[in-house]
Amino acid sequence: MNNEPHIASAFDRDLEAIQAMIVRMAGLVETSLLQAAEALETRDEELADTVREGDKVIDDLELQINTEAARMIALRAPAASDLRTALSVIKIAASLERCGDYTKNLAKRSNVLAQLSPVGGSTGSIRRIAKAVQLQLAGAIDAYIKRDYDMAVEVRNRDKDIDQMYNALFREFLTHMMEDPRNITACMHLHFIAKNIERLGDHATGIAEQVIYLITGHLPEESRPKGSLPSSATKK
Amino acid sequence: MTNDAKATFTSIKNPDARTKKRNAAEKRFRAYGLLAVAVSVVALLFLLSSIWTKGSGAFYQTYLTVPVTMSAEKLDPKGNRDPDEMKKVTTIGYSKLIAQNLIDQLAVNGLDTSNVSDKNIAKLLSSESAATLRNQVLADPKLVGQTQIFTFLASGRIDGYFKGRVTMESAALDNNTSPAQLVIADEMKNIGILSIKFNWKFLSAPDASELRPEAAGLGVAILGSAYMMLVVLGLALPLGVAASIYLEEFATKNRWTDVIEVNVSNLAAVPSIVFGILGLAIFINIGGLPQSASIVGGLVLTLMTLPTVIISTRASLQAVPPSIRDGALAVGASKMQSVFHHVLPLAMPGIMTGTIIGVARALGETAPLLLIGMVAFVRDFPASPPSGFFDPATALPVQVYQWTQRADPAFTERASGAIIVLLGFLLVLNSVAIFLRSRFERRW
Amino acid sequence: MNNMIFLERNVQVEKNKIAAQGVQVFYGENHALKDVNVDILDKTVTAFIGPSGCGKSTFLRCLNRMNDTIAGCRIVGDIRLDGEDIYEAAVDPVQLRAKVGMVFQKPNPFPKSIYDNVAYGPKIHGLSRSKAELDEIVETSLRRAALWNEVKDRLHAGAIGLSGGQQQRLCIARAIATGPEVLLMDEPCSALDPIATAQVEQLIDELRSRYSVVIVTHSMQQAARVSQRTAFFHMGNLVEYGETGHIFTNPSDPRTESYITGRIG
Repeated sequence: MNNEPHIASAFDRDLEAIQAMIVRMAGLVETSLLQAAEALETRDEELADTVREGDKVIDDLELQINTEAARMIALRAPAASDLRTALSVIKIAASLERCGDYTKNLAKRSNVLAQLSPVGGSTGSIRRIAKAVQLQLAGAIDAYIKRDYDMAVEVRNRDKDIDQMYNALFREFLTHMMEDPRNITACMHLHFIAKNIERLGDHATGIAEQVIYLITGHLPEESRPKGSLPSSATKK
Repeated sequence: MTNDAKATFTSIKNPDARTKKRNAAEKRFRAYGLLAVAVSVVALLFLLSSIWTKGSGAFYQTYLTVPVTMSAEKLDPKGNRDPDEMKKVTTIGYSKLIAQNLIDQLAVNGLDTSNVSDKNIAKLLSSESAATLRNQVLADPKLVGQTQIFTFLASGRIDGYFKGRVTMESAALDNNTSPAQLVIADEMKNIGILSIKFNWKFLSAPDASELRPEAAGLGVAILGSAYMMLVVLGLALPLGVAASIYLEEFATKNRWTDVIEVNVSNLAAVPSIVFGILGLAIFINIGGLPQSASIVGGLVLTLMTLPTVIISTRASLQAVPPSIRDGALAVGASKMQSVFHHVLPLAMPGIMTGTIIGVARALGETAPLLLIGMVAFVRDFPASPPSGFFDPATALPVQVYQWTQRADPAFTERASGAIIVLLGFLLVLNSVAIFLRSRFERRW
Repeated sequence: MNNMIFLERNVQVEKNKIAAQGVQVFYGENHALKDVNVDILDKTVTAFIGPSGCGKSTFLRCLNRMNDTIAGCRIVGDIRLDGEDIYEAAVDPVQLRAKVGMVFQKPNPFPKSIYDNVAYGPKIHGLSRSKAELDEIVETSLRRAALWNEVKDRLHAGAIGLSGGQQQRLCIARAIATGPEVLLMDEPCSALDPIATAQVEQLIDELRSRYSVVIVTHSMQQAARVSQRTAFFHMGNLVEYGETGHIFTNPSDPRTESYITGRIG
């Protein structure tokens, strides 16, 4: 990839500006994910509300990024890697906005769960999967900043670990629900939370794939390594 | 869907009938062009060679080297070396002195001069020689009493003998010479009294009378032509360039400027003799300037050259691209500044070329000069400028004309020699024009 | 909202440099420019775009009275530079052109040395009192035109020996040597190759901090890259004038949209 500056320095300034916005947006998403997971574990309603407010900022950033990317395409007529930068920025922003929505949902459900009695150990598992996904997201954005192909491929491959963690959580909640039917409501919420976090992880993988597109010019051909079991698996 | 038949294959290797006809026509056209060029070149070579063969003789002249004792009794009877007194001794006295010295010299060398009278021996010398010696002695009276070796011109017929104009047969029929004289001349050549040398006097001496073709020179003509060229350059160049700049850059383009432009172009084609009539009427009759003066000739030729200068200056100015003018104006130059700082320097090579070509043309003009009286026989050199412009003079082409009118065949040789000199000057001027053009040509 | 990065796009100096009202231009019978009203702002790059023959170059040349040199050209309307009417009888076009410089489509350096090209303007306007001052003006202008490093050891070489892009930058240096406040550029890059074009565009971006630049271009993409405000001319009329990003992403007039998307012109 070309690291030389453009002859027109204004073009470089525009590119840096939109990439800076993506990095900021990703930072906000990571922070709100970790905060939401903490709010769930500590049953902190105020923190959860902060996360929910914060989603507005993330949504506005997506609009701003779209406007700026459209403006850059209209005014600069970018080509080759510059064009792929503009296109991938739009897609990554959309992914990050969805991620923001998921964390908002997480915060909302954690408020609900705070009213119910806790289910043993489950929030710890949630925290662990949340942390893993946050690292995925951080890794994907890092690969984007550094234009690092290997890092992006690694993120993509690690997605199956997330899937496996989700499967484990799925079985755990099933167990809790079978043990005590009074847990069902809470476990259903927890399950949705886990599902959302797993989807967030998929988005992070999508971002990594955009990075691969940005670097090589085409999306990775082989399908993602998957770790999900058929949903009908039951534990004896 | 119609199915077109397979396109017929036309080969590009064999030309068709139309192409062949066209090729033949083009070949013929090229042949005509080549033929025209060949004819021109042959004609030019013929002209040049005939001029050269006729005229090259003028640059060599026959001289006699004689030691002359300037005896005081003959030249200065009163003995006080007073030039005014010595003037009383005319050229006849001097010519007798020289002739005597020549006869003595021949006797010393053992030539048999029995069959030729003394008078005829004297006739071997040019009649110019006495005048030359007298002028020298009067200028320097100290020469009286001394013996010095002098080089004198041989007479026209003797000179003609060595150049092939005069033969023994024609000498027998000639009043001015005889075969016996020619024989003596041959013997003088053998012993070294007679020699043929390069004739610098051809370029420096003034014109001579009909009887003395050997002494005739182009000095006055060259000076007259030079003065006229100075006048032409001094007047036509500034006037023409200024007028052209005004017409091209500053004047508003309306009907009046169109009329002026058409008239200037037409003036360039007017026959030159018309300018002569104009010069006669205005400069001599109304203006009262002296006839035959170089200033009048110069003024007439200026009038003739002015349209050429104006036209070539206009063409040079138009050749300067408008982007240069725009660039100057955009930087805040006024119209005058843009013309004088930018356009004029770029147009200068073209202007100079046009001017030199105009001057070269003026150098060769005869007709107008005839009308203003520069045909006179002028023996005295015009003085140095500025008063010299008002002295009578003659010009190179006019001198050629005059010499061709004279009977003596030696003048034909002189005339051809003068043509060679004239062509030489034209060649130099044109070479300067080419050099200037190539040296200062700029790409923009 | 973090608008810090885009501060440069906000036109900070709202001062009007050139105000044109009701400007019409006639070439003999031909009504070339019809009723143009536009305000050129200070320290901004304004681009004039439009199809061939739409009047953009004509209007540009009105701003420094270069149309005076064209016979049969008549101008109606009001054009003010810093509030002063430039077509008043008291105004000397020479003074105006020292304040409003111009760069042409085809680079036209004088066939003199590089130094003399740049020094000519200051000399005739008497801007320097000594050779040292003149040297300084020449160096400053060449530095601002991003040409100094390439020519500093051959200032007395002929200007015609430079490449096309260098010649155009020399013409820009020549134009800014007289200390103008406005720079008019009539299709300055049309005779240049893409790399030279990019260098000149970068230069225009740098010049923006000192001068108001008005650039006529038949390349919409160039107007998009280089300007902060764009005016679209069509058949002698000024159709739309606004902020460049707005014009190219969401123009208000349908004619503008047709031109920009390549449907007319």
